[in-house]
Amino acid sequence: MLLLVAAALGFIYTAATEKGMFAHLPPVPPSQTGGLLAPAMISRDQAQAYYESGTAVFVDARHEFDFKLGHIRRAINIPLRMYETKKSILDAIPKNRLLIAYCDGAECNSSIELSVKLAKDGYTDVKIFFGGWSEWTASNLPTDKTP
Amino acid sequence: MKNLLSNPQLVLVSRVFIGLLFIVSSLDKIVDPSAFARAVVNYGLLPSWMPAIIATILPWVELLCGFAVLFGVLLRGSSLLLSTMLALFTLAVISALLRGLDISCGCFTQDPAAGHIGWMKVVQNTTLFVLTLFLYFSDTTKFSIIEYLQKSETA
Repeated sequence: MLLLVAAALGFIYTAATEKGMFAHLPPVPPSQTGGLLAPAMISRDQAQAYYESGTAVFVDARHEFDFKLGHIRRAINIPLRMYETKKSILDAIPKNRLLIAYCDGAECNSSIELSVKLAKDGYTDVKIFFGGWSEWTASNLPTDKTP
Repeated sequence: MKNLLSNPQLVLVSRVFIGLLFIVSSLDKIVDPSAFARAVVNYGLLPSWMPAIIATILPWVELLCGFAVLFGVLLRGSSLLLSTMLALFTLAVISALLRGLDISCGCFTQDPAAGHIGWMKVVQNTTLFVLTLFLYFSDTTKFSIIEYLQKSETA
């Protein structure tokens, strides 16, 4: 009985307060995407699931210096400001492959802007991991350093 | 041993300690279920769809069991639930330690910078496990809501 009541209270509370599994990720205002509709945001849990499934390519929008210090394992680096010169890295990746853009976390918007550029360049399945590097490392998920 | 299980003062102290402990430890998890889910994920023992469900239900189980133990209502059922949870937590911590994981416990605070798991946590959990088992086998209702209700019925 305690278990049933606890489960009911848990679901009612988290749904009513929109926390945990019922949390809504913040919508991206068009002002941050140059008026374009930004790709969907995913939570850390979803990012981890995509990472573990091996179906996604993580694209790090941060500066090369930060990327070398540490990044999501197997991620590629396309700093937002160097998009035009670095986007050739993506040439080998099919246009329908899932790309997940990320940057430092909630305080940065590079991932949003990068995802819009990727979508404009014809990538059909682009998502944004808005929690980014800070959420990933806070959860002790796999990372790499580039020497 | 029989004397200990029937000692109302000892049972009361154990009930207050365990009850308050689980009530307090549930609060941070209820306030931030996402952080608790991340702590569960870090143990790397469950499929990715489970931590969110556990983070939704388990803190409320802790809270309700905490109150039940504190007031001596459904004492056997709630202390059995708590001892089962503690046994599972302890096994999870041991498994993480054996795999060399350096993760935060997710026990009392969801701050990732808080203390990480260690063998001391195993000792701590085992002690709590013994205490909850003690409450399960205790056979006194003294200083409980049940005793209060029984007294008011006979009065």
